[in-house]
Amino acid sequence: MKKGDNFISKVKEKITVHNIERQTEDQVTITVDRNDLPEAVRMLYYDMGGWLSSMIPNDERQLNGNYALYYVLSMEGGKMTIEDELPQEQKCWITVKTYIPANDPTFPSVTCKVPAAVWYEREAYDMFGLTAVGLPDPRRLVVSDDWPKDLFPLKKDAMDYRHRPDPVDHRDEPDYKFLEPNGSGVVDVPLGPLHITSDEPGHFRLYCDGDTIIDADFRLFYQHRGMEKLAENRMNYDQMGYLAERVCGICGYAHAIGCIEAAEKAVGIEVPLRAQAMRVICLEIERLHSHLLNIGLACEVTGNVNAFMHIFRIREFTMELAQLVTGGRKTYGNVVMGGLRRDMSGTEIKKSLELLVTIEKQLIEVWDAVMDDKAQINRWKGVGILDRQVARDFSPVGPNMRGSGFGRDSRHDHPYDFFNQLEFNIAVEHGCDVYSRESVRYQELLESISIIRQCFEMMPGGQTIIKPQTMIKPGAYAIGNDEAPRGENIHWIMHGNAQKVYRWRCRAATYNNWPSLRYQFRGNTIADAALIVCSLDPCYSCTERVTIVDINSKKSKVLTHKDLKRYSQTLKNHPLKNM
Amino acid sequence: MKLLDMTRKYGNATYNYPFEPYVVPEGFRGKPAYDYEKCIGCAACAVACPSNAINVKLNEEKTKLVWEFDCARCIYCGRCDEVCPTNAVMLSDEFETAVRFDRKNLLERGCLEVEYCEKCNKPFTTKKLIAYDLERLKRVGWDEATLADKTKYIHTCPECKKDITVENSTQYFVRKRK
Repeated sequence: MKKGDNFISKVKEKITVHNIERQTEDQVTITVDRNDLPEAVRMLYYDMGGWLSSMIPNDERQLNGNYALYYVLSMEGGKMTIEDELPQEQKCWITVKTYIPANDPTFPSVTCKVPAAVWYEREAYDMFGLTAVGLPDPRRLVVSDDWPKDLFPLKKDAMDYRHRPDPVDHRDEPDYKFLEPNGSGVVDVPLGPLHITSDEPGHFRLYCDGDTIIDADFRLFYQHRGMEKLAENRMNYDQMGYLAERVCGICGYAHAIGCIEAAEKAVGIEVPLRAQAMRVICLEIERLHSHLLNIGLACEVTGNVNAFMHIFRIREFTMELAQLVTGGRKTYGNVVMGGLRRDMSGTEIKKSLELLVTIEKQLIEVWDAVMDDKAQINRWKGVGILDRQVARDFSPVGPNMRGSGFGRDSRHDHPYDFFNQLEFNIAVEHGCDVYSRESVRYQELLESISIIRQCFEMMPGGQTIIKPQTMIKPGAYAIGNDEAPRGENIHWIMHGNAQKVYRWRCRAATYNNWPSLRYQFRGNTIADAALIVCSLDPCYSCTERVTIVDINSKKSKVLTHKDLKRYSQTLKNHPLKNM
Repeated sequence: MKLLDMTRKYGNATYNYPFEPYVVPEGFRGKPAYDYEKCIGCAACAVACPSNAINVKLNEEKTKLVWEFDCARCIYCGRCDEVCPTNAVMLSDEFETAVRFDRKNLLERGCLEVEYCEKCNKPFTTKKLIAYDLERLKRVGWDEATLADKTKYIHTCPECKKDITVENSTQYFVRKRK
């Protein structure tokens, strides 16, 4: 029996499965009828221990006259208790596929049964005009509010990638409807369009009763760059990796690996072991500097600038490490289909090992000092609770998830590259709060150092690149996964003609973490809002200025970025005091 | 307090840059350096460049072949370095690429002499590329006559070469039929 067959036979008992396709050893796609879609996804998700990893809408009218939806489920067990995990040999990816006829672009919403699908289904409408019937929250997600109503950018015949619709005059621009709680005495605190810690755009509405946040809503995607459109039918595989790298400024290497490995898996290319080991090394270096950045910012946003400076001093060593092994401060410009373009020399490895010793020693020293500081710990503990049931419903990933006691780690559940041969622990904490998440990050730093050491030790010789002899097969598709610092990245590639990409779906880790953030805000104070967002390590951006609106008196107050930052750090002079 | 002790222990963590140079490790991938003397205008780098930072085009008057590098687009992957047959483009250890006020200051250009086709007089490649080819062919070790025969069309553009080939083969078949 092959991986995933047991799940499929269970689905078959209730639902007609039209077609079963196997992409790789652990990736299977089943085609079901449009109306059976929600039930099929629900069965796999809740009954058999799946997690929603991605959903790909695809315009396949050129291939078979229909649109298609692919719900990617990662079968790994519910993980609500320790026993509730599938044995390693059963873990796999199951994709539920359904066709949607071009003349009737609707499908029954899966969100009613599996809440994790909410963002994906909103995006499916924005990009393809596919309407999820019964979707509880059909607002726009990706495209701006003044985007033309009938222009769906990712339809193959919709527009050229260079097309920019004329902007609408700001007076005619439709307002985005935020979800507002009813009741007297609710104060609306907009947070945004720029985040305090990460300096990236995102607009948050905090609804407060006094100082306590009772609900929140947010609008993101101010920086949507249309990369998926850019890649389609245009970029070749020499360029794809470099484009994917530019998805993120911190964890870009993980995107490049995800993207290229999806392309490699779709046609069954095996890269040399040395390249695999080096890919793992670079991914772990990226985790080192990203986690150090986040722990540093979590200290800074609570006013501990001293710790922030020390952590950034250590972070500089990790950047030097990257410089040594890849020739650039970032690990970029290296990944191509078939391997890696740059090899490491013996002296570089020797110097890297010396640097690792310094990093490890100083890291432990600084973390102990931070843990000694009771004021710091009190700001982190009990803040931004991610409830375990909410987590189960929304499929978050990364340290966000592992801080709530779920041992979800792509490196362990779906080992890629060299990870089959390495020994490492998954860091799990059970506090569900900011402290747990930062603590998970710290433990992962130590694990990463150990992983890099093991890789250097076990790295075989030989070449780092092969020429992909297999020709690209049009229509072949596969998933590429990897554990970026913020969680699991999923890339999905369908090959097109002439060595080009037909459809590239890039799902960054934070995409799965956003929908549950609303629940994490509830019950916390305004001063902790920035910290909670920071603890997700979001890939976007907090607050250039904050407007505070008192619904009762209709008074409003505009706070500058500095005001809120000062309040977050010092907890003095409450911004609502003089309202 | 522990943190303050640590500050004393490690002292100054910053470099004195820009008052003293920052030393990069060996094998650093910095700004591609262009050597005009070595460049033959083969455009291999322009073909390989994934971000279109390097362009090789004829100028408007079609008198010069212009090699142009836009540092603002460069992603420092080093593909150009890999493919260059004469090492005219090589990654350097330079990382200071800031310019004042105008992005155009990041452009780097090299104009190469073009070779005109001896039949149709259209520009088709650079003089230096022809010279490079001839020199490489000489090293093969053919005698004078063979070399002359092999390089008969070296000053002819691909279009004209095609025409000549077609003409020659037609004549061959016509002759045969007679």
